[in-house]
Amino acid sequence: MTTTAPGAKAAFAADHDVAIPYMQRTRDYYQVLGFSAYRWAHFVEVPFTPLRMPLSRARVGLITTAAPFRPELGDQGPGAAYNAAAKFYQVYSTSSETVPDLRISHVGYDRLHTKAADINTYLPLARMREAAAAGRIGTLAPRIHGAPTNRSHRVTLETDIPELLRRCREDGVDVAVLVPS
Amino acid sequence: MCHQTVSLAARHLEANGIPTVIMGCAKDIVEYCGVPRFLFSDFPLGNSAGRPFDVESQRQTLELGLKLLESAPGARTTMQSPIRWSEDAAWKCDYLDLTKLSPEMIAERKKEFDEVKSIARAKREAS
Repeated sequence: MTTTAPGAKAAFAADHDVAIPYMQRTRDYYQVLGFSAYRWAHFVEVPFTPLRMPLSRARVGLITTAAPFRPELGDQGPGAAYNAAAKFYQVYSTSSETVPDLRISHVGYDRLHTKAADINTYLPLARMREAAAAGRIGTLAPRIHGAPTNRSHRVTLETDIPELLRRCREDGVDVAVLVPS
Repeated sequence: MCHQTVSLAARHLEANGIPTVIMGCAKDIVEYCGVPRFLFSDFPLGNSAGRPFDVESQRQTLELGLKLLESAPGARTTMQSPIRWSEDAAWKCDYLDLTKLSPEMIAERKKEFDEVKSIARAKREAS
């Protein structure tokens, strides 16, 4: 992004240099493929809970949409084609003490411009462990929780999300960092 | 879909007393849903936590997310990371770009999508 001082020659950014309109692109794409339009979740009211303690004393939870690697389910490596077989349909939890082998071949990441070759681009666990060691955050919660990316709003809202909350409470999480793939 | 799922999760955690921050790359999906705090990285999907093999960008991304947790004055607070994916923004034009698809490619994509859906359906029903 470039800004200009008054009177200087205008040097605006390119018109396309904006956040990608994913909802519109997806809608147009699936319409051309002959599928009906997907209705994205949308709310007017948004809940907000202020932080009640310094982060240096907080137990921080991490929620991901990445999937545990299962070698029997086909290619899940860097740049793998979309792999629906690698999807998961129930909330899972895994220890945060070591970095688990989680992959994102089961979702529609931008395969043209990135390869998912570095887990730290979609799972900031190593960076969070460093933050805990440096005292920037109090502690890391003992488990990472995995959220299924289900197309059904009903299952997400009525089953998966209450389960994520239950597990966060079980871990004594004070604040949560959520990272989509 | 990932961005929508975590948006719904953040809302539920927050409504139940747990402050949250989402770090992500799909600004429209997250903001349309409506979330408390969102750190937007204008990167290709798959890089919500920073650039590949760039530890410094990953550190900065997490730090901005933590700062948002500490300082957001209210709901729907979005901050955009100042880190650029690349100098040239042309990559943004490519995602699901219909102008690059011939009728044959569209038919092929439809077939692939139907196959993927049937795999996912079988897996979902088995789980």
